[in-house]
Amino acid sequence: MGTATDTPIQSVPAQQIKTIGRRALIFVFRFQSFFGLIIVFLLAVYFSPIRSDKNIFLSQRNLSNVARDVSETGILATGQLLVILIGGIDLSVGSVVALTATTSALLLMRTQTVTLPLIGGIELSHLSAEQTIILVLGLGLLIGWCNGWTSERFRIPAFVTTLAMLSIARGIAHIWSDNIAVPISYKAGGADPSFEILHDRIYNNIIPVPALIMAGGAVIMMFVLRYTAFGRYIYAIGGNQTASRLSGLAVTRIKIAAFMLCGFFAALAGIVHSAQLNQGSPNEAVGYELNAIAAVVIGGASLNGGKGTIIGAIAGAFILGILNNMLSLNNVESNTQLVVKGLLVVGAVALQQFRPPEVE
Amino acid sequence: MVLSQPEPQGSHDPLSDPEVILSMSHITKRFPGVLALNNVSFDVHVGEVHCLVGENGAGKSTLMNIMSGVYTGFDGQILLNKHPVTFHHTRDAQHAGIAMIHQELNLVPELTVYENIFLGREHKIGRTVLNRRSMRRAAEKLMSDLGLDIDTNRHISRLRVGQRQLVEIAKALSLNARIIIMDEPTSALSDTEVQYLFGVIRNLRARGVAVIYISHRLDEIFAIADRVTVLRDGQVVGSTLAQHMTRRQLIHLMVGRDLEVLYPKEQVELGATLLKIEHLHLRQGTSHLLKGVSLHVDKGEIVGVAGLMGAGRTQLLETVFGVYPSRAVSGKISFDGRDARFRSPKAAIRRGIGLVAEDRKKQSLILERPVDENATLAALRQFMVLLTLVNQRAERRAVERIVRVLNIKTPSIKTLVGNLSGGNQQKVVVAKFLLANIKLFLLDEPTRGIDIGAKAEVYTLVGQLARQGTAFLLVSSELPELLAVCDRVYVLCDGRVTGEFKRDEFDQTVIMEAATRFADKLGNSKHQISVEQDTN
Repeated sequence: MGTATDTPIQSVPAQQIKTIGRRALIFVFRFQSFFGLIIVFLLAVYFSPIRSDKNIFLSQRNLSNVARDVSETGILATGQLLVILIGGIDLSVGSVVALTATTSALLLMRTQTVTLPLIGGIELSHLSAEQTIILVLGLGLLIGWCNGWTSERFRIPAFVTTLAMLSIARGIAHIWSDNIAVPISYKAGGADPSFEILHDRIYNNIIPVPALIMAGGAVIMMFVLRYTAFGRYIYAIGGNQTASRLSGLAVTRIKIAAFMLCGFFAALAGIVHSAQLNQGSPNEAVGYELNAIAAVVIGGASLNGGKGTIIGAIAGAFILGILNNMLSLNNVESNTQLVVKGLLVVGAVALQQFRPPEVE
Repeated sequence: MVLSQPEPQGSHDPLSDPEVILSMSHITKRFPGVLALNNVSFDVHVGEVHCLVGENGAGKSTLMNIMSGVYTGFDGQILLNKHPVTFHHTRDAQHAGIAMIHQELNLVPELTVYENIFLGREHKIGRTVLNRRSMRRAAEKLMSDLGLDIDTNRHISRLRVGQRQLVEIAKALSLNARIIIMDEPTSALSDTEVQYLFGVIRNLRARGVAVIYISHRLDEIFAIADRVTVLRDGQVVGSTLAQHMTRRQLIHLMVGRDLEVLYPKEQVELGATLLKIEHLHLRQGTSHLLKGVSLHVDKGEIVGVAGLMGAGRTQLLETVFGVYPSRAVSGKISFDGRDARFRSPKAAIRRGIGLVAEDRKKQSLILERPVDENATLAALRQFMVLLTLVNQRAERRAVERIVRVLNIKTPSIKTLVGNLSGGNQQKVVVAKFLLANIKLFLLDEPTRGIDIGAKAEVYTLVGQLARQGTAFLLVSSELPELLAVCDRVYVLCDGRVTGEFKRDEFDQTVIMEAATRFADKLGNSKHQISVEQDTN
């Protein structure tokens, strides 16, 4: 029954070429952020201005600057990745950087009276660097908890709650600082001098401390994602929330924890930011959330959750940083840099369309 | 292949030689890890009702998805009116006159009937302004042609599933479909609605439209089919006129083996009562989903829950598993002698209850993670050292052992679960709960969409576990399966237990009767009401 016709048999070599091509494609996508990084690096070297026979881009000082500039984005991207892995997004991190940077400067420089219920007024004057950092990181965790709890309790998409937090955190930063930047000085009667370490570069003045912080945070989170149950759960929830819940995971708690970690890393970036600029300003760090999201996405993470790596996110941050540096060295104005960054993000996401399903 | 020559004489057909309108030949389709179709040939004649039958996973849906242009990559050829055609898109198939009505209907609930019928090809005045009157009139004409009584101005969301199906059929006709594929159209319909649908199908047949009808239900097949093609494990095992086939032959073709051989039943000594449910109610919003369900399951017992779709079977399992917030649930549940009104699946798993959910891909697995991570997801606690660190070596050993025990066919334990075949995916779900030391399994349609061999393996496994004292509460729409493996069967209908049968009382007809005790009355009355409203 049925009309029998022979189907053309595909010639064997053609099929072999097809599978080899496919394997190559899988390989490229698996390490897409590395390939991207290498390409951008080579471009930067190639287009770098040359002064007295020296490639400016490759000079020690410039590479050190790149590392310093990248570190804030890298720290933010580490936290952002966790939220994106669970299928959320955190738009508030830029404002949180501004708020925490301002708070750091205030705590270091000024005398505050905080009134707490039951306990009464507590005077905080010229806190030490350690106390400041602990308090500010705590503030980051608190903000992250607010984001996560609100999203989960009222089932509001993270997009909305963190958009609200973007506005709230920025507003609080303005209120606390009376609209003006709070300078940090290390003179007598000023801030705790040990805070200035965050501004330094170590090993012959090459490696900036913020870059070390970024690396440390990234390594710890890599370890957490790879070797702990918490990390496993993060990927599981992002991959399939229903299945995770029916497998007995405390989905709500884990999601809130991811938001808290994101807030924590945002606060860390805020502390670094204030140390770098020697001030805490409520007007700083506008649009940093987009840098962080861009880095994560360029690093191959899926905005649907469940897919992405810390290495990718950090590589993404470096791609953005090197690109910016390349454009600056060639005297391309910063507005054009914004355009290039936007195109890069769209390109990276569009590229995911061609991602073969076999790639993990 | 057992092919009998198509007989030239069909009793219904005025034409002496029904013409082949569409012919698919030597179709082979492969998915990762499974050969879905193996050299399948399939012909459709003008104006016939062609039933395509086979077990779950036999390849029926895959074949129809190829015919309607959903799957474009396959080997083989499709001839339409003797001309080879290639569909790159469902739209191509639609233009060629092939329309598929999917199990999950493709209608926009927020739009009205006529808006859905003309979605994407609206009648317009000039180039921009919608001509609603013309569309309504055309839609009403379609309805009256089909003898349907549906208000075209209603929103789809306010129609019942049966009526939605009819709207889909009307839509297909408005596209000048010559072939309409219906994928299990009656799975959510009451008996009256089924009869009504059959009337519509006979009407279509009279107009020369070929209907390909996919169903599991043998009674329906013999009531409506002109021709029957049977698929098994991706191959055609028989194709003949319906009048030349007996029920027995059909079952034999579908299953290939006798059910008793497939699902051997072991005698198990039952233990003490493990799960006891008394007067369980579940309310969600205004709907009252469970209305005082009482039942019990003993250690080592396999208890079946039969019933139609929407009878509350899934909700029953989910309530026991702690899926619903406690304010929605009332009644008593005890497990292992202690209170067991669980507030979360986490609590249920910790006490020893596991749910193998109905939809493996949506509810049970993380498809883009490897086998080992899926298998230990519910039991990761056992492999933790130092707070939250996972002992990956112990984990790997445990997963390798369970993969061997359950005979899960996977290239490695690092293979993504999404790349395994349905049966092996289901075994991974079972593995997940076995590792979590489960005493009571809640199985919701555990054999849906897996091939017959894997089904037998799943039930053999169930039997083995029962012998070791594990209890099962098993929901399945396939009554023969339930009757083959269960010690006892409860019948649910409209949120109530309408029957309880011991193994020696099993009788398919009596059980079906219990399963429809309320549904038919309700269905009828609802139908009456909606018809009255429609005519207003």
